[in-house]
Amino acid sequence: MGTRPSLRHHKERRGGPGKIIRMTPGSRRNFFAEPERDDETIMIGGGISRWTMAYFATALTWLLAALALMVAGIGHPATDLAAPDTLVLVHVVCIGWLSLAMCGALFQFVPVLVAKPLFSEGLVLPALGLLTAGLVALLAGFMALGGRLPSAPWLLPLGAVLLVAGFGLVVINLGVTAWLRPTGPARFVLVGLASLCATAAFGTVFAFALAGWAGPTGDAVLARAVPLHAIAGLGGWLTLTAMGVSYRLLSMFMLAPEVEDRQSRLTLAAGALAVVTTVGGGAVTIGFAMGQNVVLSVAAIFGLSCAALYGRDLAGIFRDRKRQLELNTRMAILSFASLAGAAVLGIALVSMGTLTSHSGAFVFLAVFGWLSGLVLAKLYKIIAFLTWLETYGPVMGRAPTPRVQDLVTESRATKWFAIYHLSVWTGTLALLAQEPNAFRVTAAAMTVGVVGIVHEIIRIRRLEDVAPPLRLPAGAAAPHLLFAKS
Amino acid sequence: MTDQLVERVRDALRVVIDPELGENIVDLGFVYDVAVAGGTVRITMTATTPGCPATSFLKDGAQTAASAVPGVVSADVTMTFEPPWTPSLIEPTVRASLGFAAIN
Repeated sequence: MGTRPSLRHHKERRGGPGKIIRMTPGSRRNFFAEPERDDETIMIGGGISRWTMAYFATALTWLLAALALMVAGIGHPATDLAAPDTLVLVHVVCIGWLSLAMCGALFQFVPVLVAKPLFSEGLVLPALGLLTAGLVALLAGFMALGGRLPSAPWLLPLGAVLLVAGFGLVVINLGVTAWLRPTGPARFVLVGLASLCATAAFGTVFAFALAGWAGPTGDAVLARAVPLHAIAGLGGWLTLTAMGVSYRLLSMFMLAPEVEDRQSRLTLAAGALAVVTTVGGGAVTIGFAMGQNVVLSVAAIFGLSCAALYGRDLAGIFRDRKRQLELNTRMAILSFASLAGAAVLGIALVSMGTLTSHSGAFVFLAVFGWLSGLVLAKLYKIIAFLTWLETYGPVMGRAPTPRVQDLVTESRATKWFAIYHLSVWTGTLALLAQEPNAFRVTAAAMTVGVVGIVHEIIRIRRLEDVAPPLRLPAGAAAPHLLFAKS
Repeated sequence: MTDQLVERVRDALRVVIDPELGENIVDLGFVYDVAVAGGTVRITMTATTPGCPATSFLKDGAQTAASAVPGVVSADVTMTFEPPWTPSLIEPTVRASLGFAAIN
């Protein structure tokens, strides 16, 4: 037995799991955690987010819908980037798939990031209902715009209002929670939420302008602010938030020390400046009817700096890790490669003067290679971890329990992730080559990969890979597929 | 007698595992102290992440496992993050089996 570590006891305000302690002045925190203010109240333990699985299931359903659209040849590249069918596809992916998956993960992980309870568990399900209803109305509005449904100009504003209400609940809930202790990765989430507000504001103006209700100012915004809306959404909300969460998840699952606060703060500052330049500078260019090239170029430099600094931070986490790589981390590396690839592709397209004609390929690689690849890899891990907590946490100490890794069969799941990433990279090439039919084939292959991953996730929720003696110890209850019982 | 009870409690705590690392909390070095006074056991332990739901279950599990040991009248578990846990606290043989030696 080794030497027992010397102890300095904290003052415990309330004992028991999920309770609050006050750290003593000058205390150091956990191996994984960033430095924090003295005499700070933190939460020991925490709850399981009841509706996170429902968000994940809804998000994966929208992802499969998006893939079906791509296989069917609906939206870009079969149609123009600004065509209503493409707008349907883009919003299914960005709101239905990525935003819902991100929100579901954040409701569970923001409390972990800040060691504070979620502001309101009661707002989580209403937000999902509003977001789903808003997205359906928005998509119907786009379909009416494209002549696939009877004309109904009010659908787009209705969708926008419902989405603003849903995202508003998300922003309040997560924002208040993270604001209580805005350290390290939580700062990325706060900037991401601010970017989400900007994205939603632009989108709302667009929706009202398309309905003819926004006047000449709205029309001017609609005509010129679409790139700002896209950059704030994909770059600010989704990318910065994904970066922030990835710092903590990678450190936790690889037993690597947390990235130093001042180091990640620089990465965030570059990303935040990219968003501020885009939104603020872009708004000024619209207001004064100026060109946007300078503003977008400056934003691109900040964005590339952010990606490079993020790469540096990731290299440190991987270099200092204590554990071998699990499947979710190996697959996350492929998504990081796609982020780097998207950065290189963007530079190449700009230098060749072909970014406008190939922006679909650039966005596709960023959305499906980087963001979707990372989300799928982390869903595979998060769902296994949460399923373990729900099922075996309550019987711990009473009976032997399996490990989280016993809930998954990585050797079987690897091929689905490999198929997915190879298809995304091939699809990017098909878009660059302007081969719509080849793109549809790669979309079909992506669908095979995603269906395989979804099948693996369902097996995890049903504990199908856990050996029978440990599968359901006395007192344990099998988890529900779509929500946490406890 | 007291030492024997401490050892029995430590053995009982081995049924509690860190779900992510897959090893029991004693071998992982999460259990900082087990003190016995009469039939009352006071356990001081840690975990990897303060805000993680698993931390609650580790504390509950330790309390449940210790309470079931014959001779224990009551068990009290205190979570502390001072000093912070590091992988160096893992039993060397377990650390090797987790693949740590080959990494860092």
